[in-house]
Amino acid sequence: MALDYKSCINCKACETACKEENGVLLGADKHRIWVGVKEIEGEFPLLNIASNTFYPSQCQHCDNAPCQEVCPTQATYYDENGVVRVDSDKCILCSYCMNACPYDARYVDDRTDTVDKCNFCSDTRLVRGEVTTACQATCLTKVRIFGDLDDPESEISKVLREREHFTLKTHLGTKPKLFYLI
Amino acid sequence: MDVQISRRRFLQGSVALTILGASSLTGSALLDEGTKDKVGDGVRKSVPTLCEMCVNKCAAYARVENGKVVKLDPNPHFPKSKNMLCPRGNAGIQALYDPDRLKYPLIRVGERGSGKFRRASWDEAFEYIEKRLVKILDEEKDNRSTIAYCAGEGMAEHTFKSFMADKFGSTNFVSHASICLQTTISGYALTIGGYGQADLENAEYVIMAGANRAEAIVTPDTMDLFKRTKRRGMKLVVIDPRFTNTAVHADRWIPIKVGTDLAFVLAMTYVVMTENLYNKKFVEENFNGFEAYRDHILKNNYTPEWAEKITGIDADTIRTVAREFMAHAPKAIYYQGRRTAWSRQDFQLRRAQAIFTALGGGIDREGGIIFGKKLPLGEHSINAPLYANPKSRIDKKEAAIVGGSGTWIGFRNMIVENRTPYPIRGMFVYKQNPMLSVPNTQKTRQMFEKMDLVVVIDTMPSDTAMMADVILPECTYLEREDPVRSFGGAQPSIVLRQKVIDPMYETKPVIEIIRGLAEKISKPLFEITKKYDEDVQMEIEDRGEEAVYKEDGFDLADAFRVSQEEINEHRVVSIYGKEAYEMLKAKGVFYPNMEQYFKQISTNEYEYYPKDKRYYSVIKGELKVDVHDTCIDEKEIAVMKKRFRTRSGKVECVLPSMAKRGVDPMPTWRDELYTETPKGKFKLITGRHAQFTQNATQNNAMLLDLIPTNYLWINKRVAKAKGIDFGDWVEVSSKIGTIKIRAYPTEKIGPDTLFFIHGFGANSDALTLAHHNGASDNAIIEDVIEPVFGSAAMHETIVDVRKV
Repeated sequence: MALDYKSCINCKACETACKEENGVLLGADKHRIWVGVKEIEGEFPLLNIASNTFYPSQCQHCDNAPCQEVCPTQATYYDENGVVRVDSDKCILCSYCMNACPYDARYVDDRTDTVDKCNFCSDTRLVRGEVTTACQATCLTKVRIFGDLDDPESEISKVLREREHFTLKTHLGTKPKLFYLI
Repeated sequence: MDVQISRRRFLQGSVALTILGASSLTGSALLDEGTKDKVGDGVRKSVPTLCEMCVNKCAAYARVENGKVVKLDPNPHFPKSKNMLCPRGNAGIQALYDPDRLKYPLIRVGERGSGKFRRASWDEAFEYIEKRLVKILDEEKDNRSTIAYCAGEGMAEHTFKSFMADKFGSTNFVSHASICLQTTISGYALTIGGYGQADLENAEYVIMAGANRAEAIVTPDTMDLFKRTKRRGMKLVVIDPRFTNTAVHADRWIPIKVGTDLAFVLAMTYVVMTENLYNKKFVEENFNGFEAYRDHILKNNYTPEWAEKITGIDADTIRTVAREFMAHAPKAIYYQGRRTAWSRQDFQLRRAQAIFTALGGGIDREGGIIFGKKLPLGEHSINAPLYANPKSRIDKKEAAIVGGSGTWIGFRNMIVENRTPYPIRGMFVYKQNPMLSVPNTQKTRQMFEKMDLVVVIDTMPSDTAMMADVILPECTYLEREDPVRSFGGAQPSIVLRQKVIDPMYETKPVIEIIRGLAEKISKPLFEITKKYDEDVQMEIEDRGEEAVYKEDGFDLADAFRVSQEEINEHRVVSIYGKEAYEMLKAKGVFYPNMEQYFKQISTNEYEYYPKDKRYYSVIKGELKVDVHDTCIDEKEIAVMKKRFRTRSGKVECVLPSMAKRGVDPMPTWRDELYTETPKGKFKLITGRHAQFTQNATQNNAMLLDLIPTNYLWINKRVAKAKGIDFGDWVEVSSKIGTIKIRAYPTEKIGPDTLFFIHGFGANSDALTLAHHNGASDNAIIEDVIEPVFGSAAMHETIVDVRKV
């Protein structure tokens, strides 16, 4: 997934659509998907406009996912599309994965007492044959482009070839698959 | 699940409505519009509809499984809403399944305002209303205007208005306009011929003052704007006393002293005039009174140095912005803005903004303010009876120009202060919550307390519903078909809100409520008309009672017996044919050549009209239509333009006919209309939030999860000096009241200004989540009236704050 993060206005449509689609519990902060807000610097009226930024974020679906590596029961796995998934039947809530994730993308689902996280709507939208995630489809300024990185002709592959981008905590070697477009 | 009754648990419980077993969906194909397929034992379908969580009317698909709405998704076919659904749109499901919804007709049993009601049948409720109407109108000798009515914005607003005005015959209507964008619409309409639409898809330089499109979402403005900010094609200058999420996207953020915007615009105009930066060709061809306006600006010496002292913006910045604007013109817009009047000088501010944009030539052309085209719809006529006894509206003299939508503050205060020429004894309220939305709640309460009959039609037990004698429960937007609507612009289209599921409980769409009420009251009220109306008596002598009743429209129900679906079909088919109507039903949207023009150009983007088929420039001698804005009453604007003899298609710098009413014919700064903030005190400002629509979403579980309550923005250093930390309770008081709220110390606001978001602080205990959550701004905003149109000037209140 590529994120045109400069277009984000922190309206939280993505968060709402995710909760409605995936049934995430209310009353939970930063579950599954969130917008990271860097608060403004400076004193009124000389505020540093550029210091206030919005970073929409969710599970990075790392190619080399630390959460998958530490899971003792193989509850966390890569599915056939390379999406990092959790099999709730196998999860024993040891929470190793939550500690291992450098992006704090995992949470405990109080209904099932297992760990959950973003799965790119694999079991809700994609399984129905839809090609967008809930967060992408609903976005006002169209921040997200979701697609197949293995297909060189896909829109996301083209965008990543043409536009500068960065990933978060690249130095950890997790090979995250959320790409922030500059 | 744990069954505690804590607030959090309530929230958790309520979302369970939207959760579905994912396994039951496995293997089904991509769901297209209008299709149905099997889910387990039941049926899954997708219905195109239109959102009503705010005023924008975005196109959506409602996914229905086994009779339940499980998800709302964006419908990409609508050029105005462009394939998106905001957080409120997503949370429409919670509005539908809110356990606190009004479910049955209710009749008051306790004191007015006590919140004590009993469940009644529809017939009982109608009978209650009938009895009181008969008594009041008999005592008032058939002066129908003694029964007033008000309505919030909505697609069925016209149905309600049409019943009250055309059929029932009351002249006393107060709409949301005077607490909404009355001054802005009027300022633009009388100056450049219409409010228009800012073409933010193509503008290169935009000054956005007080408007906050990142948080007060307007489509397509919000989507067009923020894809191009941050050095991606558009320069954005944000003028706001507060650092908003829109300011985050600005190239330049200029905090301005509250209520001084007019001085800023006049000084920029001075720069443009003295440095000859305006578009000479455009001015020559399209301006009336340019010389007079230039002389006026120069004679009054509206220099940047003069404005610096008033606005707090340094003179160099004013010069720079004026020059940059004109360098980018005509693709430069001083954004019109919306919401309420801020100060007493708001009308002149909007006039000055419109003229400033026009000086650059950015009117009726790509990248400027455009008027576009509007697709016509077939007529649906109503047989309106003529009554002899209703008197003209009470609030005509409360401001210089009071139109058909009235002045809320003027109207209410006249009643409270016993200044009405005849009594206002009853009120019908549709989809509006004046207890929270009109400044000075105490007076609104007093107004309702004086009445003999208050009827509220709504979906939620609002604070205003609590003041009612009878509450008639409307169904939500997902349970009804509303009048078909045409939206103008560069890419015009026709849209339809279709019923997604049947109305729940005993709720009904407003057209059916009116039909039922009209059937009940029509004959008894005609008896009263017969008694007091000499014209009707004569007609009856000539033609007989039955003929007069039927042919002259005294059968109040006759206009509402046809279903909304049939009316819509007729209005579309009569102009565009059956096929167009079928397409509208299937896609939710229709415009000529849609099948040919509409294309997906990437996973996120769609094209609606090819660029060369869009209506950017439309004025050819005469401007006929305005962009259809949901809050604009086009008829009223047409009347106003006629009254003030503005020449169509020209930019009017001078309005001589205004002078007769004591209004400056040209935008003029008036020191005496400016409210100074005394040292140590604060000016209170109000505003909007992306996750809340005024007070309409105050009980929505999903949205409260994003914004649980409202906080008082107070400058960090001021807060520190007062010993106020984040989350501390503080008391904010004005001349008219005091509220308690938690503090949010921040540098995003100046030391002499306070802010909190509108929409919280409900008093109604029938709203489980909203009850006493946060504070209501209108409990402390003073009822200051803007003198030209009688709008509420909401940024004129001086307040004090202390820690409690």
